[in-house]
Amino acid sequence: MQSKLSDIELIEQSLAGNQSAYADLVKRHQRFVFTLALRFAKGREDAEEIAQDCFIKAYRSLASFQGQSKFSTWLYSIVYTTAMTFLRKKRVATDSIDDENTFIQVESQESGYDTNNIENKSRSFYLNQAIAQLLPDDATIITLFYKGEQSLEEIAQALGMETNTVKVKLFRARQRLKEKLEQNLKQEVKELI
Amino acid sequence: MNTIEEKLWNYIDGTCSPVEQDATARLIEQDKAYAQKYQELLALNQEFAAMELDEPPMAFTYNVMEAIRTENAMQPLKANIDKRVILGIAIFFVFTILALLVVVFANVHVSGINISAADIKLPAGVKLPSTNSVFSGPLVKWFLIFDVVLALFLTDAYLRRKKTTRQLQ
Repeated sequence: MQSKLSDIELIEQSLAGNQSAYADLVKRHQRFVFTLALRFAKGREDAEEIAQDCFIKAYRSLASFQGQSKFSTWLYSIVYTTAMTFLRKKRVATDSIDDENTFIQVESQESGYDTNNIENKSRSFYLNQAIAQLLPDDATIITLFYKGEQSLEEIAQALGMETNTVKVKLFRARQRLKEKLEQNLKQEVKELI
Repeated sequence: MNTIEEKLWNYIDGTCSPVEQDATARLIEQDKAYAQKYQELLALNQEFAAMELDEPPMAFTYNVMEAIRTENAMQPLKANIDKRVILGIAIFFVFTILALLVVVFANVHVSGINISAADIKLPAGVKLPSTNSVFSGPLVKWFLIFDVVLALFLTDAYLRRKKTTRQLQ
């Protein structure tokens, strides 16, 4: 059962040495942080690593949290920087991976596609599939806007961007998401015919 | 120049000015193409908002807290020492030294330039213990040996730390 205390109260208790208060904070935000991490990492294991790293970093610098913004906004900025660092490292590591691995990945995606019937696929499946095809930045902005209860100003703060830039990026991300959704559904219909 | 779609998204999000809001509302009422696009985007907006969050593994919170506990346990003792304790000890010593200096200077009587005539007097109630028996020859030697060993040990530790830091850089 999750605590009914506010984020600020839980932070104060955590700073006073109550680790179970921080565990409550983790429980409260873990789903969202994990989802955001998945927007960058794609694989669940990597996403778990990023999300875990974020909560450890947040714990280390909890004392520096001023309370001027929402805790979630502050936490998402940590997720963003951690995920970007992860991507940078990953890019260096995957440069040496040959085409064979890529082929296996694509093949396994397709085989998963074939085994599912259109009837079994919920709307959220299509949406998640389309989001997974977006660029990490687009997917993150869409997730922050729709699920993070963040205003454009707060998203800008978390991502270290101007509010207008976020507004434009959100517009473009929604357009791309719409296109991906349409493409995927067309593909699905073709396969059925 | 904003496109129709951009204007409609701003209208749906409520991020446009009241004037723009009114203008877009009027266009939706009067223009069929606008109304159709608005309905389409509204449906899309609802679909996006219904997006589901992914669930992390069951042991996620436990793993995070374990990692934090392990990290705390691995912290060197040096980092765990409360700085206020060190400050308190420093303040105590500074005050003691200052008090001693005040007492000493208050009781020093320099007559002329003859230093040997200086007379240091402690307050009447204060009696210093006799140190002749305590600072005997062997004790002073052992104390000095201990000091030398400690100094060598600390210098070694300092140099090792410096070397490690340089290697890490």
